[in-house]
Amino acid sequence: MSFLGPLPLTLFAYIAAGAAVLAIGAYIIKMRRRRFEVPFSQLWKRVLEQKDANALWKQLRRLMSLLFILLILGLVMFAALDPTLGAVSRKARSVVILVDASASMKAMDGDKAGKQARLDVAKDRAKALVDSMGGGDLAMVMKVDGQATPMSRFSSDGPMLDKIVDNIVASDTPADLPRALGAAADALRDRPNPLIVLVSDGAFPEAQLGMVKWGAEKAGTGSGSGSKDLATIDLTGIDVRYLPVGMRSDNVGITAFNVRRYIANKASYEVFIEIQNFGTEPAHRTLTLSNGDTPISAGTKIDLAPGERIRKIYEKLPAGDGQLRAALRPVDGAGGSDPFALDDTAFALLPARKKQKVLMVTEDNLFLEGAVLVFDDVEQFKAKPAEYAAKPSLADGMDVVIFDDYTPDALPPAPANLLFFHPTGPHSPIAVHGETRDPHITEVDVGHPTMRWLTLSDIYMDKSGVFAPDAKLGESTIATSVTDPIIAAKRDGKRKILAVGFSLPSDGRDSATDLPLRVAFPMFIVNTLDWFAGDQADLLTTYATGKRERIPLDGVVGATEAEVKGPDGSITHTPVIDGLATFYGSRVGYYDVVAKGPDGHVMSQIQLAANLASATESDIAPSAVLSLGGKKLEKPEAFAITHSQKLWIYLVLLAGALILLEWITYHRRITV
Amino acid sequence: MVATAKAATRAPKASANRAADRSALFDERFLKTLEHLHMVARKVFAGNLRAERRTRKVGSGIEFADHRTYARGDDFRYIDWNLYGRLDKLLLRLFEEEEDLHIYILIDVSDSMAIGQPLPKLHYAMQVGAALTYVGLANLDRVAIIPFSDRLIGRMPPSRGKNRIFRVFDFLRNVELGGKTELAECMKQFVAQNKRRGLAVVISDFYDPEGFEQGINTLRYHKFEPFVLQVYDQREAAPKLAGDLALVDCETGDTREVTVSKSLLEAYEAEHEKYCKELEAYCTKYAMPFFRTHTSIPFDELVLKIFRSGGFLR
Repeated sequence: MSFLGPLPLTLFAYIAAGAAVLAIGAYIIKMRRRRFEVPFSQLWKRVLEQKDANALWKQLRRLMSLLFILLILGLVMFAALDPTLGAVSRKARSVVILVDASASMKAMDGDKAGKQARLDVAKDRAKALVDSMGGGDLAMVMKVDGQATPMSRFSSDGPMLDKIVDNIVASDTPADLPRALGAAADALRDRPNPLIVLVSDGAFPEAQLGMVKWGAEKAGTGSGSGSKDLATIDLTGIDVRYLPVGMRSDNVGITAFNVRRYIANKASYEVFIEIQNFGTEPAHRTLTLSNGDTPISAGTKIDLAPGERIRKIYEKLPAGDGQLRAALRPVDGAGGSDPFALDDTAFALLPARKKQKVLMVTEDNLFLEGAVLVFDDVEQFKAKPAEYAAKPSLADGMDVVIFDDYTPDALPPAPANLLFFHPTGPHSPIAVHGETRDPHITEVDVGHPTMRWLTLSDIYMDKSGVFAPDAKLGESTIATSVTDPIIAAKRDGKRKILAVGFSLPSDGRDSATDLPLRVAFPMFIVNTLDWFAGDQADLLTTYATGKRERIPLDGVVGATEAEVKGPDGSITHTPVIDGLATFYGSRVGYYDVVAKGPDGHVMSQIQLAANLASATESDIAPSAVLSLGGKKLEKPEAFAITHSQKLWIYLVLLAGALILLEWITYHRRITV
Repeated sequence: MVATAKAATRAPKASANRAADRSALFDERFLKTLEHLHMVARKVFAGNLRAERRTRKVGSGIEFADHRTYARGDDFRYIDWNLYGRLDKLLLRLFEEEEDLHIYILIDVSDSMAIGQPLPKLHYAMQVGAALTYVGLANLDRVAIIPFSDRLIGRMPPSRGKNRIFRVFDFLRNVELGGKTELAECMKQFVAQNKRRGLAVVISDFYDPEGFEQGINTLRYHKFEPFVLQVYDQREAAPKLAGDLALVDCETGDTREVTVSKSLLEAYEAEHEKYCKELEAYCTKYAMPFFRTHTSIPFDELVLKIFRSGGFLR
């Protein structure tokens, strides 16, 4: 017999002795009895004298009560020791079962009919493994996808582990095997007979498989004495086994899908798509490309030789709503379909692009009007300040309103973006707290979209208003003269506002600047209108699942967290540091990332697309044999069966029965 | 069962308080119940005043008693002339003289009498005592009430006439309560103080650690006619107790720790019954009237039925 209790036996003995002393003490200490007055105790005396003839039996009955309690106590303490009948095998193992839940495990080749996924087979194998464990074996279940997630602690509770295995769901990410092996090795450290069982299709990059080390390197044979490769997974002393799943290898998938707008012609864009046949037979598909609900390319027939990879570029496509989707459709006949559907669809985003309606509230400023005309996607409107003041509704329906040396009493309603030159007074969109003479632009936020490709250091101006941007209101400084902010930006929900502290030259104005005479001015106007339109040439909106990316959030100041709404509608939160949000996509599709200010207003909102985009993961060919660090992994052996029998439940039941018996005998006045 | 035991634990104190409150003991209905009863004495005692009781004295009564030879000076009116005609002897007719009867109502007011349901035994005893007193007064007997516990506690001197009944009530309402039961000592004091023989009605639970025999014998030896009325409470006879208890004697304070079981209760009930039977047997043996009643028997029923059927009242 062995004891598997959580406490050392010596400590347990002390606890048991203490409990016994308490029980005996309670037996010895006289119970305070209820007082009851009787009219004639003489009668009771006579009765008790007769009863005292049985005093020995009476003592014995009380003693029996004590013995009952001590026996119950003993049984409970004994049960707490977790006694086990039969010797626990010294070969009892500590097992980490790594269940591959990467995207390739969604391949529907678990059975020949194609109705069962690989993951289902993997779960069955994992459960069979759990069910075959012996009495002393302990197992932990860990899910392997883009992350390594322990699903349980080490336990011998088969049904519980089975339930945990059943709840595993495959994600749309490649597997990060080194991370999982590292986590498993850490969990098994200092445990007896450590064993890792990998239940997978073996679709891992060679680089990952080579990161394993099986023993301490001899001195001098490493890259340098005393150096250690932190990326290496040390599995010294750990037995690693492999349970392969999966049958088919034929798959055609989209391995890359991207879109970009032409810098020279923002009204059109081009699409890049890469498709590969991972099978050993020729494959045929139909490629469909659509922009929202508008088909761009419908039904392009694609024929792929075994292992062939093709790249297609769709050029000069007209602008649309921006949600691009590429889909491979199966065709009839041999090689017309495959069991892995996840990589048959890819998503991309094109920032919305449309002709902007621009209202210029100005007294005929040719510099400004000329610069706006440079922009090819603009529909111009013009109003004099007096006209606008009389009829603010002129701004209704406008995408951009430019106020030239004029500050209206009330801002045009959102979502119109606003560009101010020399705003003044209390109605300035960004507070103005003074004026500076002969300013020089000394510092520029080069990361801001409006400042791309600009040089403003030698710009001359007579004077400029000085802003007091408030970060809490989403305001930021774009350009300063020494310490005075003279160009500032603001995010007001989805609307953007840019304010320039100085005015453009015009008839009747006493201030002057040479900015309109520089190349920088039309660039500045174009950049500003691009920024207003949300079109950033260097912004990538398509990412691969299973990788952490840093996403710039325009105009986010002070926010520490962003809300991410996934393709399945689930909402998670991700940290934001220095305006960069961490993005991790576990599902393919479109994501919405929203950063909110402390008061709840939306500071920035961006849409992203996530694709599998992994040739390794799309190569679903199962590996019947897997080698880690040059060592071939064997299938797990049968667990050593131990015929141990847990006794605690029977002891607790017996203690319960004794408590019941004691209760009955007490109330029947047998043991009192 | 626990609730019952708790109620029982609180009972003595509540009973003592209830026993002390005697304001509503005697009401009008109580009096009307008794009016037509009168007591029947088994013996004939000497009295000073003419009343409705026969005595051994021959005198001016109307009941014929005996003849005796005429002596000089006898009243001619009592010469039996018929016998003189037949026997030619002058014989004088003797009549039993009717006298009043001395009745002593001895009521136990010890602590043990404070217990009882639905009313304390003491109240019950006082009501019975008052009823007997009223009957005696109504029959022109001389009735005295003497409460006792470990001594005689006060005394209402012998009174005559129904109009004295309110004094009786006042006396009973104000009598001091408490103490141990010492029957022998009290009866000793009683016979010493009351030389006039008569009916001695002892109303008590007879829970005397020294026994009841000596007290009753004292009455017998001094030519009193003891009438024994034992009052008990049914909960004394069959207590509903359970568990570990400390039984405290309400008179002596003696404490006994017991674990009450069903068998113990049965043994106690048997012992109580045995004690009562012993008392009854003793009274029967010496031809003393004995009644046993418990407080659950309505007072009316005791007086109107049991006493009458037992021949104590008619």
